Formats: sequence, structure tokens, C-alpha cells
Amino acid sequence: MVAPPPVPATFTTAPDSPPRADPGSFRDPANRVFHADGQVFRGLGPQAAEDWRALAGAEFFGRLLADGKICGTETADPETLSANPVGQWATVLRHERIPFVSYPYEWSFAMLRDAALLHLEILRTAVPAGFTTKDGSAYNLQWRGAEPVFIDIGSFEPARDGEPWAGYRQFCQTLLYPLLLQAHLGLDFQPWLRSRIDGIEAGELRKLFGGTRRFRAGVLKHVHLHDAIQSRYAAASTGTVRAELKDAGFSRELVLATLGALRKLVGRLDWQPPASHWSGYRETCTYSDADREAKERFVAEALAEGDRSRLVLDLGANDGTYSRLAAGYADYVVAVESDPAVVDQLYRRLRADGERRVLPLVMDLADPSPGGGWRGVERGSFAARAEADVVLALAVVHHLAIGRNVPLPEVVDWLVGLLTTAGAGGRLVVEFVHPDDPMAARLLANKPAGLFPDYRREEFERLLGQRCTIVRRLELPSGTRTLYLGTPRDLGTPRG
Amino acid sequence: MRSLAYLDAGSGSLIVQAVVGGVAGVAVAAKLYWRRLTSRFRKQPSKQD
Repeated sequence: MVAPPPVPATFTTAPDSPPRADPGSFRDPANRVFHADGQVFRGLGPQAAEDWRALAGAEFFGRLLADGKICGTETADPETLSANPVGQWATVLRHERIPFVSYPYEWSFAMLRDAALLHLEILRTAVPAGFTTKDGSAYNLQWRGAEPVFIDIGSFEPARDGEPWAGYRQFCQTLLYPLLLQAHLGLDFQPWLRSRIDGIEAGELRKLFGGTRRFRAGVLKHVHLHDAIQSRYAAASTGTVRAELKDAGFSRELVLATLGALRKLVGRLDWQPPASHWSGYRETCTYSDADREAKERFVAEALAEGDRSRLVLDLGANDGTYSRLAAGYADYVVAVESDPAVVDQLYRRLRADGERRVLPLVMDLADPSPGGGWRGVERGSFAARAEADVVLALAVVHHLAIGRNVPLPEVVDWLVGLLTTAGAGGRLVVEFVHPDDPMAARLLANKPAGLFPDYRREEFERLLGQRCTIVRRLELPSGTRTLYLGTPRDLGTPRG
Repeated sequence: MRSLAYLDAGSGSLIVQAVVGGVAGVAVAAKLYWRRLTSRFRKQPSKQD
């Protein structure tokens, strides 16, 4: 077996913490992910442990690991593990830690497509070697910056000859259908995935692809026919159907042919926003060169101070200029932006550059990802995941305070709250756009006069000063924007 | 004997893969349908016994 890439021990946020089962890893009882000592482990039952031994010895698996397409995994020495939920498992694996866990409803179109292509590539490599994956979920994938990585090692198992891929339905629901939705109809898929943990049903999607739309690439077979056969065989057990397919001559070659057809289809799907999207967008990005230079210098200096950051959150990342800048001073940067087209373009550029430290995500800051799935914790809320030590909030406060009516004290509270776990090293770089700035004035013009009496620089500075020590401030040359570098005060301090 | 997969793969989702796989797959799907059809006729006399 090829040695897996070293398992980085970054993000050990909770050393010596007791083992904690991952709330998103219960569906397959044969194995379970848990967290202990700031590291990620996977407990394997007897069958899964046997499958792992076969997998670890397989040439294809070593190759995928070495290429970084599968998350770094090694067998953990039970002696080194602290108190054991570990004891109930036959074997325990240690995984590479993913710097920031994200979900498919936070990805852009090209991200979801690249994730789907990686899943198919892994399967097309595994099948000829006699392995398959038990499932086909978009949640099997995560990111190292702009590079997708397959994380569900427990999903691999030896293939049984004559059986189709068990994960095909899940692949359709969580990967293919969202891609079809966006590529063929121009609809953003994120809200669909966010509200349906198991993805989009064939029957649901079929309703959107009536008339001549049914002839778009992939729709007739994967949506219409799939739904029709599903309805027809709703009463037939999968065991019976598996046996019948085997009798009728279903073969491994056929599995590969299906995967090849899927690969070809997904590779052809593409989405570009209408040109009008960008023409409207450019008008909103009006900085003078002098402003831009001063702003970049301020941000770079703020990032360079103090210890190297582990995680920077760039809120309202736009084209990612400041995320890329931050990547020079931090282990990892999460670039959050609400416009799916902007995130998609940023992702494609980061991917082309091979950038592994900047993760772009689609999210509306006034409506960040809630918890989801079973008990609302199977998928973590953004708030539960966003433990940064630097927060960049550049040209974003006015969008929340004026555009979305969020009270100014709450905006400041929220920004500082993202630094709760950072301790003394936490830094907030925030830009306040004055009410007389053209951008703020445009937002204010859409609201009744006098609605935001508190939206003033003095008031913002007072609120920020209550929650942070203001280390530095800089008014940009245009005179309508001010940048602040703040370090959070003890959060027990009373606020006004 | 291995335990069955944890996921309900969906009977229809298994069958449609034959069709997606091209000509050879369509032949498998046709054979499956034919067998289902003929087995219906074969089963009928036994039910009347």
C-alpha cells in the first residue's frame, strides 16, 4: 500500500476532550465517526474492519490516497487512544482533519459538479478492482480549499458480481438532479438541498421537466424513466430485484458502462449566469484605486500582526481578493458570499490556481445555514462551525444593517461572537460604509427616510468600542468609508 | 454471508441502471421484463392447484 499523505494535526481545538460521536455519522451502523483529542476517528465493526483490511491492501486505494483524492486515513493504534467508545469497535481509523466542514447546499454549481465527478472517478477506479461504494451521497465529499476530497472510507466494500450500484439513487438525488436543475433550468439548487437532507426526488424533478424539456441531456433516462420504473416497482423488494437482475445477466461491465455514461453526462453539464447578471454587478463595485490600495494595506497589516491565524472568515468575500490576501497569513480561509454566480466564478479561478487554502461558500449572511437532519444536528449550523480567529467584514455591515434591517448592535455582536473561541488572538477587521457613501445612499433610498437613525459612524464606533479594543482605524481617501481593526474584549463586559 | 447494505437502493433505481448502461443493459432489462411477464403466466396454474 502506498503511504497515505501525513494526517495533519491542525485544528486541535479541543485537546484532551472526551470522545464525541459525530452527529452526522449514524446512518451506516457498520461504522461511526467520532472526535477525540481534537482528532477525527472512525470506529469499524467486524465486517467493516474486514473490508478495511482488503481496501488498505488494494493498489487502487493507495493510489487515490497518494493523489489526495481520498482523505488521509491510517489505522490508529488502540493503545494511543484515550478512554474508549473505541472499545466497542473492532478497528479504529484516524482521518486527516478537514479544515472546515461544509455542505452541498453551500457549494456553487461547479463545486457540486466537481464533487460529483470525483465521486464517479473514485467509483470507476474501485469497480475494476472489485470494490464499490455502499452509497452515492454528496455528503461523501468535502474540500481542501478548491480541491474536493472523498471522506467516507466506510462506504467502500467488496462488490458483488451481477449487482448494480446501490448508491445510484442517492447520487441522482443529491448530485445529478441539483446539477440538472441549474444547468437546464437556471435554478439555484442550494435551497432545494438545504431543505431536503436526502436531496431531490425523481418524481419532484420530473414535474419541472415537462414538454420538450424532457429531451435535455440526461433528463429522459435519469429523471422520467427513473421515476416511472420507481413507481412501477415500488412494491418489489430490492433483494428480489437484485436476484432477478443477476439472473438476467447484469454484470460488472454494465456497472462500468452506467458509470461511464454518468461521467459523460455530468462532464457536459454547465451553467453560466446570464450576462445581465454581471453588468448589474459591476456598477455596485465602485472603489477608487487609492481606496483599494489603502484598504489592501490595512487588511494585510491587520493579518500580519500577532500569531498566524488558523481560520479566517471572509464575510461578503465577493471576488475573493481579500480571501486570497488572507491565505498568505493563515492556515485556511473560508470565503462566504451570497451570490451563487460570484462564488462559482471565484471557485473556478481558485481551482485553476490549485488553491488549497481558500474555501468559497454560498451563503446569505442574513440567513446562514441552520442545523439540519435528525434533531437538527446531523448537519451543523454555520454558527456551530464558524469558530474563526480572524473575521474580515469588508463592505458588508451596510448590507445587513440597511439592506436587511438588522439592528446595528446585533451586527456588531454577531461579528464579535464569531471570535468567541479565538481568545486573546482574535481579530476583527470591519469596514463601515458611511451613510453618505454612494452604495449606502442607494440602499437607504429604498427605505423610508429616518428608518436608521443609528446608522452613523460615531454610533458604529461606540458599539464596536464596547465589544472590542479598537487597535486602529483608517478612513479611506474617498472619505466615505472607515476601516477598523478590533480585538474582542472579555465577552462578560456589560454592553449598551 | 454479508449483511445487506444499509441503504435502500430502490428497486426502480437498480433496474433503470441497466437502461442507462447502453445496449447491453437494455438487453438485460428486456430479459428481466420478459422473465417477469412469463413467470406471471407460469405461476397462475400453481395458484389454482
